[in-house]
Amino acid sequence: MKVEAISLEKKYHGAVEHWQRHNFKDYETLLDQWEKYFPTDERFCLCAKLELGTSDTIAIGEHQGEKKRLEPEQLSEEEAAHLLAIIKAQASTEFGSIQQHAGTLERADDDQDRFWVLRVMAEELRHGYQMLHLLLSKDWSHVSRGVTGEQMVEEILSMQTGNHVLDAFNLDYDSFIDNITFAAIVDRVGKYQLTMQRICAYRPMADSMPPMLREEAFHLAAGVIPMRRWAQRAAQGDPFITMTAIQHAINKWVPRALEMFGDERGGETNVKFGFKDLKNREAQDQYIEEVQKMIRDINLRFIRARFPAYAPEQADAALAELERARGTHHGVRREDLLRTPDRRFFRRKGEPAFSMVGVDGEPFTDAEEYLRYLSRHLNEGYVASRDMRNYAEALRGVAAGTLAVKDAIMKMPKLKRVGGTCPCSKGVRWVMDGSAADQAASA
Amino acid sequence: MPGTETGTRIRPLDELDIDAIVRIDERISGIYRPEIWEQRVGFYLRRDPGASQVAEAGGKVVGFMLGDLRAGEFGLEEPSGWIERFGIDPDQRGKDLGRQMFAAMVAHFQAGGARSVRTLVDRKDEGVAGFLRALGLSPSPLEALEMRLDAKPTESR
Repeated sequence: MKVEAISLEKKYHGAVEHWQRHNFKDYETLLDQWEKYFPTDERFCLCAKLELGTSDTIAIGEHQGEKKRLEPEQLSEEEAAHLLAIIKAQASTEFGSIQQHAGTLERADDDQDRFWVLRVMAEELRHGYQMLHLLLSKDWSHVSRGVTGEQMVEEILSMQTGNHVLDAFNLDYDSFIDNITFAAIVDRVGKYQLTMQRICAYRPMADSMPPMLREEAFHLAAGVIPMRRWAQRAAQGDPFITMTAIQHAINKWVPRALEMFGDERGGETNVKFGFKDLKNREAQDQYIEEVQKMIRDINLRFIRARFPAYAPEQADAALAELERARGTHHGVRREDLLRTPDRRFFRRKGEPAFSMVGVDGEPFTDAEEYLRYLSRHLNEGYVASRDMRNYAEALRGVAAGTLAVKDAIMKMPKLKRVGGTCPCSKGVRWVMDGSAADQAASA
Repeated sequence: MPGTETGTRIRPLDELDIDAIVRIDERISGIYRPEIWEQRVGFYLRRDPGASQVAEAGGKVVGFMLGDLRAGEFGLEEPSGWIERFGIDPDQRGKDLGRQMFAAMVAHFQAGGARSVRTLVDRKDEGVAGFLRALGLSPSPLEALEMRLDAKPTESR
């Protein structure tokens, strides 16, 4: 694989570095300690990377077989506008995850885990930089409604947790368990998006994907490997990490991760335009299968640690029995193991939005009962959050018939910037779409 | 992404292969050592993702080959592919899976500019040494040297 490394124009590169100083304060620590934690690995490069020698033919959709587009103007207006939105959303996620990780990074109880997450953060910074390169290296003015490249960068770099494009990036972490679970669960959606976009009909986007995907492989490992070790510690009776705590984090992130694929009924436009090779539900189905495998492996790690004399086949049999009969196995209950939440659990977007379904698929009819159930299946810090309060209000409205689901989806308040655009500014507050503050924010 | 094939296939290593690798190693060595494989898989996924390969049969991982592209070590400035660890489920041997994983790794190394593939092998392990020779590897002018530090020092005369 041959890769071309590109730097942004000086003022934009400087803007990203300025953002990093405010949002990613441990960046310099990572670089200083690089040799200790990643000896002989290539040094980190804050640059855009484009894979060379990729296919120049559109692989899917209504332009299949044609030459890939090299300029936004070679796309139709509808296609270019659609792709511009994808690139901006992708950029938002990259910068957003760094802000989330930074909040609880220092609570890691293991230095290796902390430095792995720091590396993940640095590479997300590079991915955000990559998306800015896509926005700035070509002319999008015919579909940007008068917004210049400079303004687009300013908009992205001024986003804070709460006003990013996707919900998964608008939730604060409650502990370092969230850092790790997020890497295992939410970064996995990132892998799917990047993999699907490898065939993108717009070649600069397609060429951006392989270097990002290579880095994403480690991000998933930085989530899964600590989770496996935590399961071992939990099985051995470590009082500071429990399977319940991990499960509560899974319950928090899986619903938001599923929503990152978009509505289950959609995705045809991406395929038609040749931007992705799977529709939303197809990708989501594969993702769920992968999460189920991850969780099963972690459960086996737990069982082997609890019963060290077990052969692999005995551990398999014990897990199968617990999953089937939901009883106990020498003191281990089904509830002591992890499980993948039902795809309808705690959803607020997509096909099952605001349906009341439990982790194991059990239906609820009463909103208050469902909210009490959620409070027992999510961690205390999150339950007490603004996000949960907003969700509860919308759910009560839907359950009472006073709010249509589509309106409930739109009604969720967001944290928006209403002050300046410099990331140093703390000028953010909760506003409702369409309120005076919202209008002021978007003016 | 999950595969649906029922035959065999070779694909790059990912973090969800740890469990299968632990099992293969346990079948071969009789020792359950997940920590070692978690560390090694983490290492290769950050060091050179795409280099290490696994073999699937019927949708199940039955073999692995781990390695990476390196340059600048031991005075070897030119990039070389290094094969460090491999294993195949004893029930799946003789199906050419090792050769196929090796071919995939070689293709990755060549794409990265490597002109040679290197490894170290215990000469007494005829099974492994024979396998590597069958793949086309031959003794190198570079010699592996070592000195035991837990042995009694030789008395000077």
